[in-house]
Amino acid sequence: MFNLSQKGKTRSILLNEASPLRRLDPRSKLFVSIALSLAVMLPLDKLIIFIGVYIIFIAWARLLLEMARQTWRLRWILLFLFVIDWWLVSFELAAVITLRLILLSGVFALFFSTTSTNELSMALESLRIPYRFAFSINLAFQSIGLLQEEWQAIREAQQSRGILVKFDGIRQLIKQVNDLIALTVPAIVLATRRAWAITEAAYSRGFDSPQRVSYYQLQMNWIDWLFIGLILAIMLTFIFWR
Amino acid sequence: MPVVLEAQEISFIYPQNNRGLAPVSLSLAENEGVFISGNSGSGKSTFTRCLSGLIPHLYRGEFSGKVLIHGDSTQDLPMWELADRVGLVFQNPAHQMLAPTVEAEILFGLENLGISRADMKQRLEEIFGFFKLEPFRNRSPHTLSGGEQQKLALASILARQPEIFIFDEPLSMLDTTSALEFVAHVENLINKGKSAVICEHRDKFLENSTHFRKFLLPGIHQPPAEQQDITHPDYPESLDQFQLQVRNLSVEKSGNKIIREMSFSLDSGQIVAIVGRNGAGKTTLLRSLVGLQKHNGDICINNGTINQKPHFRMVFQNPDIQLFNPSVKDEILFKVSRPNMQRYEWLLEMLDLRRYEDTPPLLLSEGEKRRLALALTLMQNGKHGVLLDEPALGQDQHHKDILIQLLKKLSQAGFLVIFTTHDLELAAHADHLILISPQGIVADGPTHEVLHADSAWQQIGLVRPDWMTFDV
Repeated sequence: MFNLSQKGKTRSILLNEASPLRRLDPRSKLFVSIALSLAVMLPLDKLIIFIGVYIIFIAWARLLLEMARQTWRLRWILLFLFVIDWWLVSFELAAVITLRLILLSGVFALFFSTTSTNELSMALESLRIPYRFAFSINLAFQSIGLLQEEWQAIREAQQSRGILVKFDGIRQLIKQVNDLIALTVPAIVLATRRAWAITEAAYSRGFDSPQRVSYYQLQMNWIDWLFIGLILAIMLTFIFWR
Repeated sequence: MPVVLEAQEISFIYPQNNRGLAPVSLSLAENEGVFISGNSGSGKSTFTRCLSGLIPHLYRGEFSGKVLIHGDSTQDLPMWELADRVGLVFQNPAHQMLAPTVEAEILFGLENLGISRADMKQRLEEIFGFFKLEPFRNRSPHTLSGGEQQKLALASILARQPEIFIFDEPLSMLDTTSALEFVAHVENLINKGKSAVICEHRDKFLENSTHFRKFLLPGIHQPPAEQQDITHPDYPESLDQFQLQVRNLSVEKSGNKIIREMSFSLDSGQIVAIVGRNGAGKTTLLRSLVGLQKHNGDICINNGTINQKPHFRMVFQNPDIQLFNPSVKDEILFKVSRPNMQRYEWLLEMLDLRRYEDTPPLLLSEGEKRRLALALTLMQNGKHGVLLDEPALGQDQHHKDILIQLLKKLSQAGFLVIFTTHDLELAAHADHLILISPQGIVADGPTHEVLHADSAWQQIGLVRPDWMTFDV
């Protein structure tokens, strides 16, 4: 699982064990994801071809479904930005911005559908990011599902007291400020308590130890270097091709 | 026996609410178990934090006295070195899970010891074997039941092999079977030469063990003695008679059947306890009755002439998900249109909240917050009754007695009161007892009959220890 989904209630990105990228070193995937993200700088004509190539690559990696899901989750933001940019500037700019966001969401799906939070943490550590930061990033990703569940529990509990926040326009929302506070204050309190409980739990198991040894070890293989080389070649072709 | 841990007149005051721990001294010898007892708010959790060094290392406040571990003061040692000597297990195991898998959870503490990978592997496999955790190795700790999570919390500390173990109310969320297993694990540690301190409300689980010496924590805020004998007035209103009918209730979550084909009927004015093992679907059943859970089957109220949807109010397990107002009074009266102030006054008296009327709810102790959550729920008009999810959690005997009195007053006024609990002695105060398992209802009837239905208890795997008394 990508995040700590309690009793399977929350929506989360599942690790795709069938993808060939799952077996790669997380560092190579991190590098490739960053490289692929640079494609957002391409002009519209090149960007369209690049996204075409990217979709073929994603289909080969058996991640098409994950990419589609990720894009679907962003559908309202994409639509909003497209309409605003078209209205205020031009159709071309609206198309470029929307395609860039689709590409970035695809890269996000590629990385997180094939990399666990532990692997991400180890990759960051091996890239000389201090352990406490790598561990915090790991925990933050794990906590997404729990925060969603806590929010749901608060909403239900307050709803049972007659506190029902409906998002029917800004004016309506302003009238419901008190009710919004009824949701946000407990959410902040619970998140703070969880953070504090985790801090206590971590320190009571030697989190600040200077002699820490990582049990798992990462190993770059020839296939990782081949993968990096291939993606780099494609990227350079697109950047310098006229 | 040499002394391994010594607390010398330690006290601590939290700056935000002036509560904490009154001066106390304790010494713990090698191969010894001490069980700390005390009222709600007497500072048991604070005491565990002081003994383990979390206070003063992670907490700001007024700390005095000294805690010595093998002769070294906790103030002079860094946290990681203290963690090597003292293992701390917290009250809520779900809040101490740090890793995405059970294996990684155990490894977290081992990696910080700085031992070789071969040693880590050996300790890891030993722990998996000892606690029979192999089937859960790659599962997320948050998908385990309460009992399994508490076992994992102990396993992840035990893997580090500290000399001293400190537990903060480790039994509060466990059913009797899991609680007895947990106590047996700790007894086993003491037999192997370790020392243990357990702070716990569920006294009898430890009083009946020969491995523990009892130590009473004095506490700063004791309930005034004169309140113990007060006779409270009756609930100021009364409800009409009705019957709750549940037919073929089923609940499915993520493809798993949580509740299977449950049917039962209950009368107004009854106190009903729902008992089952961790994960049997007790909370889901309450959520279905209050209308928060999608379900199949019928739930209706029959008042002799027509059937209607039930209208219950629910008191949730965690009070923190509801509290946000600036004072206890505002919290109780929030969103109550035309509040019945007679009922308000009655609740303040009954739940011992009068002195906190102007206090911000977030500054109350856990037990007080639970009573406040009960008050604000009862201030809402539940036409048919009230549902309570684990209301005795973290409450001392005095406040359990208050709770029982309140439930009785409500039932006398015609409320249907349904509560879930792990505490069988609390369940014994109900008029009606429903035993449930993931397969459905195992026994349903008058409490005194169900409590003695041996085969039903065996079927759900819940132990009724010999020392447990069900006299009401």
